[in-house]
Amino acid sequence: MNLGQGFSFVLGWQPILFIVMGVIMGILAGAMPGLSPSMGVALLVPFTYAMSPTLALILLVSIYISANYGGSITAVTINAPGTPSAVVTSFDGYELTKQNKPGMGLGVSLISSTIGGFVGTIILILFSVQLAKIAVKFHPAEYFALAIFGLTTVATLGGKNWLKAFVAAIFGLLINTIGIDPISGVSRFTFGSVHLYDGFSLIPALIGLFALSEIFRQLEEQNFKSKKAELGKTRWPSILEYWKLKFTILRSSLIGTIIGIFPGAGATIAAFISYDVAKRTSKESKKFGKGSLEGVASAEAANSSSVGGALVPLLTLGIPGSASTAVLIGALMIHDLTPGPQLFQNNPNIIYGIFASLLVANLVMLVLGLFGSRLWVKVTAIPKKILYPLIFTVSIIGSFAVRYSFFDIIACLGFGIFGWILRRYKYPVAPIVLGIVLGNIAETNFRRAVMMGGYNIFFTRPISLILILLALISFGWPILQTKIIKSNKS
Amino acid sequence: MNKFIVLSLIFLFLLSACKRSETEFSFPQKPITVIVYTGPGGLIDITARKFVDIASKYTDVTFVVENKPGSGGIVALKKLLQLPADGYTIFACTKSNISKIVATGGDFYIDAIDWAAMMMADPECVITNRNSEIKSWEDIVADAKEKKGKQLWLGPANGGLDHVTSLKIWDKVGIKAKWIPFKSGGKARAALLGKQGVAYVGNPREVLGNDELQIAAVSSSKRLKQFPDVPIFSEFGIEDMENEYMWRGFVYKKGTPPQIKAWYDELFTKVANDPEWKEYWENGGIDVTYKDAEEFTQIIKKDQADFEYYLQKLGIISNQGENFFSKLNDPQTLQFILIAVILFLIFLGILFTRMSAIKDIGNIMIPIFFIILALLFLLLSFTFPNDEEVGPSVVPRLWIFILIPLNIILLIKAIRQEAKVETTQHLKIIFSFVLLLIAYLLSIYYIGYFISSFLFLAIGMILLGYRKYWIIIFIDFGWLIFSYLIFYKMLYVPLPLGIIIEALFL
Repeated sequence: MNLGQGFSFVLGWQPILFIVMGVIMGILAGAMPGLSPSMGVALLVPFTYAMSPTLALILLVSIYISANYGGSITAVTINAPGTPSAVVTSFDGYELTKQNKPGMGLGVSLISSTIGGFVGTIILILFSVQLAKIAVKFHPAEYFALAIFGLTTVATLGGKNWLKAFVAAIFGLLINTIGIDPISGVSRFTFGSVHLYDGFSLIPALIGLFALSEIFRQLEEQNFKSKKAELGKTRWPSILEYWKLKFTILRSSLIGTIIGIFPGAGATIAAFISYDVAKRTSKESKKFGKGSLEGVASAEAANSSSVGGALVPLLTLGIPGSASTAVLIGALMIHDLTPGPQLFQNNPNIIYGIFASLLVANLVMLVLGLFGSRLWVKVTAIPKKILYPLIFTVSIIGSFAVRYSFFDIIACLGFGIFGWILRRYKYPVAPIVLGIVLGNIAETNFRRAVMMGGYNIFFTRPISLILILLALISFGWPILQTKIIKSNKS
Repeated sequence: MNKFIVLSLIFLFLLSACKRSETEFSFPQKPITVIVYTGPGGLIDITARKFVDIASKYTDVTFVVENKPGSGGIVALKKLLQLPADGYTIFACTKSNISKIVATGGDFYIDAIDWAAMMMADPECVITNRNSEIKSWEDIVADAKEKKGKQLWLGPANGGLDHVTSLKIWDKVGIKAKWIPFKSGGKARAALLGKQGVAYVGNPREVLGNDELQIAAVSSSKRLKQFPDVPIFSEFGIEDMENEYMWRGFVYKKGTPPQIKAWYDELFTKVANDPEWKEYWENGGIDVTYKDAEEFTQIIKKDQADFEYYLQKLGIISNQGENFFSKLNDPQTLQFILIAVILFLIFLGILFTRMSAIKDIGNIMIPIFFIILALLFLLLSFTFPNDEEVGPSVVPRLWIFILIPLNIILLIKAIRQEAKVETTQHLKIIFSFVLLLIAYLLSIYYIGYFISSFLFLAIGMILLGYRKYWIIIFIDFGWLIFSYLIFYKMLYVPLPLGIIIEALFL
């Protein structure tokens, strides 16, 4: 059994139909703020219980891989990242839209997503077994160090306002501790409310901080002009412009895949770290945050390639690396298949079917995206007076859909107003999201590591030591740089 | 607009006519909802869906599985108890729910529920890594004695069944070890594969599909059919372990009429004895033992007492009146403090706007807000139990101690800085939109998502100065149809219909 046979299975009319359906649903679920890839997959799992296992997995995997691209569409066009990982895409993508170049952002995000998806899948196919062996060796101390490394990207994000960016990140980390403590089971800062037992959900916070605060800002600036007039002239990237991004895309794809492999790390951290690396190594690092194509490419390549990485521990060990893959395990189990090394021996058709469908799904995503981009770009032409109320209703339904909780709608609105106030005074909001995403990983692994080996474990394990040193350097450097520039000026 | 109101009234009238027609006993007359307390894909979700699948052989009724995740089942339990005890909602529960109920002090839930049927039980087992030196139960005990309390056991959350089982085993054997909780069983299993610990506690199903894992001992009264080579605890002289199992079952609200209970008893028995059902679960080493309400309730009482004992020992349930700060744990005091803090912030804000010396209010108020928030959290962190080496207060305090100095710097900077005059001043429209949004939220609660969204969209667009009424109506209806079909019908998002509408018509 090999990949060829996997393809021969996937290239029937029925599997192709499922892939196309999956990709369309994935793009839409990704684009809709509030429907994340894991939710897109989770919402469809019940339907797949009645299907054959291979078809079910083809459908779910197609949704999963394309949802990460879908998230970038709304991030670029209306600054409402549909998925947490698309937050990074919005830094430059939305700037491009503001400069009347939405086509550039959309084009680059599609191509980078596709290439990232391919790279991730190919690494998955070639090296999954070896990589899984490394992944299980990753100690909590190293997870903690990775999280700290991820946090240091704040220094790059903040630029001149790095102090405020840092405050925002720590605020994110602090509110992440609200809820039942994952280690000891004690409830913390819940003020006796059941709604806070699980803390604030990430999605309503994300929608509030990005989509709602953006509308409040536009309302304040009375910015109701739509870009209808220039729509016909929307520029799309040329082949040369894509070619210039080749190293950024490849490097980001590798970073994304590697970070994706570690169970629990995920697409968002991958996107942040790869954006950080791209900015540091770029010749035009000043353009980052002001509509850099490299910025969009690095974020999108990383979050799409992390899908391939996340499937490594799932398929080889039966261990879910992310929320979406946890749902895929359930889908395997209902069909009486146990994920793990034996799946390769007992049901190779399923494994190779998944591999083949990942490749095909990427291709389908590219084709649909090329046609779709012409459509997505029209979002920027909708009159703002219609668009803004609509985004409010979408945000509210999206926050509610996460766990069917009224409290989440209120939280979303709260984060929206708070985010608007913060942005008004030059506090970036993306670090808050980063703090919420990383808080849990940082805290639980920190405490786990100390329980397992005392406080010096972070410095006695080589990988963790290296990561922490790297984090210190990467945090200190941009701050030092701005200081030097300042002193040079004066 | 008028037409829509008339149409919707007719629609609602028809709806109410349908609902009111149920009279004398004949159960069931409408679909039955099975509430699952996790997202789709977990073992309990699969249990519920498999049950629905098998039950369809014996009854024509439609079952709808509804996932209601949150707070380890408390959110779902609340939902169950809000609904009438008419048998149209059942709840798929596991032993973890009992642990959660006890840990959150929600013991009244246990008495508000009819524990209808236990459907199956997974024995608990200790799993080791085949490639490490410590494989068998004897190896574990020898290693534990050598390491003197530093042996690491891996598993899911603190205070859960797996943890409590381990505590019991350690007590009975007389060894000491450390429990390292992971986010999920899967992550702990990965750590075992990476030899980061010696043993993992879970259910036998978890070694399937992976040659590297093996079961050292299992808590069962006799050897398992699927794992004939695996010893049971009593073979090592460890008695009374056969009640350590993870059960799954179905419950409904107390007060459900006896005829309905009888209907369910029959259905549960039939499914429990169905060959397909049995085969599916037994293949995974799960014991398909059906226990009726009476036996099940006994088991629950015992579990409750057990968890109370161990969770108190672990410090997860507080032992009351330990120190001065534990008074703060009372929800009413907490909410009072929270409101006081908010009022204080508002007062400060108003004060600063009145003071002509202060111009850059935002850059002063934001650091003050963060500092006060940090101080409040610091105060609350003293209420956490603190007997572990890295207790629940360590990390929040770390963030707090970084947050406070940073904000003091920002505050000083803001006070020193030359005041800037704020540029844009279209705050009126923001306030009106915030008010509109609050009204929208309230109206969703009272008159439901659909009617409120219809009104909100129209008012919002008009407020922004859009005047093409036909387009407004077109978009309004478009959104209603879209949200109804996609979210309500296809994705089963239970959009609120509004308590007034529900009280009137449903």
